[in-house]
Amino acid sequence: MKKAIEVLDLTGVGCPMNTARILLRLAVMADKACLEVMLDDGEPIANVPVSIEDEGHQILARERKGKQWMLRIQKSH
Amino acid sequence: MIYLDNAATTFLDRQVASFICSFYKKDMGNASSQHRLGIQAAVVIEKARQVIAGSIKADPKEIFFFSGGTEANNTVIKGIALARKRQGNHVIVSAIEHPSILEPARWLQRQGFRVSYLPVNPEGFVDPADVKRAMTPRTILVSVMHANNEIGTIEPIRPIGALCRKRGVIFHTDACQSFTKVPLDVECDCLDAVTLNGHKIHGPRGVGALYVRKGLVLDAFMHGGHQENGMRAGTYNTEGIAGFGKAVEIADNRDVARMTKLRDYCIQEIENRIAGVSLNGPRQQRLCNNLNFSFSGAAGKELFLLLNAGNIFVSTASACSSNALQASHVLQALNVNDDRAHGAVRISLSKKNTKEEIDHVVSSLAGFLKKIRRKI
Repeated sequence: MKKAIEVLDLTGVGCPMNTARILLRLAVMADKACLEVMLDDGEPIANVPVSIEDEGHQILARERKGKQWMLRIQKSH
Repeated sequence: MIYLDNAATTFLDRQVASFICSFYKKDMGNASSQHRLGIQAAVVIEKARQVIAGSIKADPKEIFFFSGGTEANNTVIKGIALARKRQGNHVIVSAIEHPSILEPARWLQRQGFRVSYLPVNPEGFVDPADVKRAMTPRTILVSVMHANNEIGTIEPIRPIGALCRKRGVIFHTDACQSFTKVPLDVECDCLDAVTLNGHKIHGPRGVGALYVRKGLVLDAFMHGGHQENGMRAGTYNTEGIAGFGKAVEIADNRDVARMTKLRDYCIQEIENRIAGVSLNGPRQQRLCNNLNFSFSGAAGKELFLLLNAGNIFVSTASACSSNALQASHVLQALNVNDDRAHGAVRISLSKKNTKEEIDHVVSSLAGFLKKIRRKI
């Protein structure tokens, strides 16, 4: 059975608070666990992936969902 | 020294102080910056936001930080009225609100809004039926405090909230005095906006928060950067917010139970040992740390000065107006006579006060009153 992926809706949350909330959530997740994040277009999708990778986590996917973006992140440490 | 003015401000909890200091000792960035130091500061803020949101069963997206209760109250009263002026021009507040609600309400009147000031009963309670009666099709906002800062009355916010929800009117409560002492549930209490602050709960001064229900639009009061999604511009007070979050995290219901017991002991001792005393405010549905007494034949200010000289720190009215000689607007709203209004002394406890301190204060009060009354 496919393991459920945690989802975090960060639409409407500005930078870098969106990144901060992702890091807080990843901090309590198991190593290699995945987190799906919904982000706004514009600054959030431009800034967040870079900052998350900078913290050592992996971006597995990014998909446009209408006016928003879905980012799939794997906790890496 | 015996400090009994905790409704004005509390001493910073040592655990909170160490937590704040740990950030002052670090090199911190601006929490709006995108680099790693900025993100580290943002993490500190978001952690506090999660704790505060959780404590009132809100979503972190609904919590916005301000410089304190006054700024949050100004923002919510002016911001909601201005944003909804096309829907109506009528605002309802209780007559015993903190000046940071009453003054913005008067400001709105000068801008052409109509404001109704709800009366209270002799114990300071707002009657939800009065709220209903005051409502008109032009009513856009009702603000009734969760608990009064002078007499400790815990207002029936849930039925008022339910009424507002039914009528599509925005309901705000100022919970600065009650936060972490009386449970709040933004969903069950039908709240659209709630004011909270840090320094009444052993957190730092200079930081407060506003809960704003998702989708509710307010005109911003402070313009500038895009902090707090445009709700409050200005560089984040990262250390203050961290301390606020910590104070909420360590708030303990056992302290509420202890303060309630100490409050009741203090009422009992004062009433048993001192003649001519009246308790202002209710005996039930009263804040766990609030006592407010009037002593016949003694001015509150005179007692205040004698207690102050004996290193016992209380208040004669709300702290913000304790230098004013005018009787408190709260006691006036209770319709008490002038003597009683001018004779009022507020004693507000904290988790740190002890029974021994109360015994000393009651003995001192009894002694001072004997002297004062002998002069008459």
